Amino acid sequence: MKANDTNYIQRLQQQKEDALEFIVDKYLPLIKGITCKVLIPLNNNGVIEECINDIFLSIWDHSKKFHGDSNDFKKWICAIAKFKAIDYYRKVNKQIEFTSNTLDVNTEKSIEDELIILEDRTELIKLINQLEPVERDIFIMKFFLGIKTEEISIKLGLTKASIENRIYRGKKKLNKKASNLKLGESGI
Amino acid sequence: MKDIYELLNDLNIDESEFEEMEVNELEKANIKRSLKKEINKKKKRNSWKKSIAAASIIVGLSVTTFVTYPAYAGNIPVIEDIFRFFDNGKTDKENRQNKEHGLYYDYKKFSNEINMTKESNGTKITINDAVFDGKTLTLTYTIESEQDLGNVDISMPRIKGMEAIGGTGKTSKIDTNKYVGILTVSNIEDKKLDVAHINWDIDHIKNPDNQTLIKGDWNFDFSQNATDNKIQLTDGSAEKNGVKVSIGKISFNPMSLIVYYDQEVTELVKNKWDGVDVELEIKDDLGNLYSGEDNGGMRKDSSYHVSGSKTFEKLDPNATKLIITPHITLRDYNSDNFTSVEITNDGKKEIPLPEKPGKGTEEFVLEDIIIKIKK
Repeated sequence: MKANDTNYIQRLQQQKEDALEFIVDKYLPLIKGITCKVLIPLNNNGVIEECINDIFLSIWDHSKKFHGDSNDFKKWICAIAKFKAIDYYRKVNKQIEFTSNTLDVNTEKSIEDELIILEDRTELIKLINQLEPVERDIFIMKFFLGIKTEEISIKLGLTKASIENRIYRGKKKLNKKASNLKLGESGI
Repeated sequence: MKDIYELLNDLNIDESEFEEMEVNELEKANIKRSLKKEINKKKKRNSWKKSIAAASIIVGLSVTTFVTYPAYAGNIPVIEDIFRFFDNGKTDKENRQNKEHGLYYDYKKFSNEINMTKESNGTKITINDAVFDGKTLTLTYTIESEQDLGNVDISMPRIKGMEAIGGTGKTSKIDTNKYVGILTVSNIEDKKLDVAHINWDIDHIKNPDNQTLIKGDWNFDFSQNATDNKIQLTDGSAEKNGVKVSIGKISFNPMSLIVYYDQEVTELVKNKWDGVDVELEIKDDLGNLYSGEDNGGMRKDSSYHVSGSKTFEKLDPNATKLIITPHITLRDYNSDNFTSVEITNDGKKEIPLPEKPGKGTEEFVLEDIIIKIKK
């Protein structure tokens, strides 16, 4: 049996390699479009390629977390692509700043740096989980997917002011939670 | 807590804003190649886990029988056919009067006498007979020891070319200081071997009742050719309550028949129960009931798809049909009946008990699968 339009999600979740090939064939143009749009300014084809690989691998590794039909699947992988591409953009940008500020020749990220990036993200996700559903969606769209406030307001049927308000309130909440977290950790 | 992938799944984004970009075949091929490389790197790391998991399902089938004999002088029972002894726990004389069939009824006839004895630390181990049907090796052995071994525990032999093995073993005390046993070693993978190269390296035997350990060195190396066999491919299946059992093929050999089966369950069952067991009951059109022994099965990592086989006594030559009735048991694993350990390159890790809503057990019977025997 081979993957086709009706069974590829199921086969992907069963970790069948032909399903991965199938989604590469079906969705590469779209994934490439999303990734390039974000990463073109970096002027680095290697990063784009790496990012596309990473997107497909993440889809493969996390396929079991997906629920829904093939239309939802398309939305899901678009969101992953956008999120990953922005993540890559931020990481690479950070690197550039880092090397230009210090004259150290160390261009490679150290393991510590990698860990900090990773931990920041899991902490942030932990915090985001505590927000209300609407705020949570706004935050993910705004900060993980880089969607403009206007677009978010259209999507959610809220005014721009209301979105900005919620972001402000959400940030405040997160700030409080984050400082609690830090206090708790340092044991003061 | 939800991770980012689940959060993104909940989000209803408008995918129409994204634009596709042109991609050529070369780019696709490149990406596929590097993805496969990555995936296989991961798989290699996991492959250890798989064979161990397969083996761990099987261990624990060891059954012990215990028969006492009045130990007055001159009445040391001689057991010529150890196979038959384990069919019904009776000696040869009684067996001759007893025409009743059992799984090992014809095993002695098609077995080879090995009669290798090794002595170490005051304990003698003898391998008496061996039969190999291409999948399962059956051995009988005798142990003589000054010490009380009880229902002695003994390690499993290794067979070259079998990577994941399953098996059963039974040892019985037949007299003071004398024990006989039978064990089976089955290849869990569906791969037929023409000859079994057996290496049985025993470095200790243990009495599980009082934990007495006898260390020593009993090492056996020998080969056993497979008996003739005939394979019939079949396509019968039965399904009920979300569990499907299919019979893929049956292998007939002079002393037994092996039924290969596949078991699949729906998501619903999978989400509710920790384990699904299949028992096959086999009759023929003449009304004979066949007794059998499980060879173990292979479960593909997290799914409940099990491919396994069971060995039954040999086919009645006059039978034309086999009637196979699958009995299903849905199980809830708890600390009393299940432990699982994952062994990776990083060491040993206990796998926690699965938490699923199904409690206790639930049993039901599938419809008969009828297989016409090709002659």
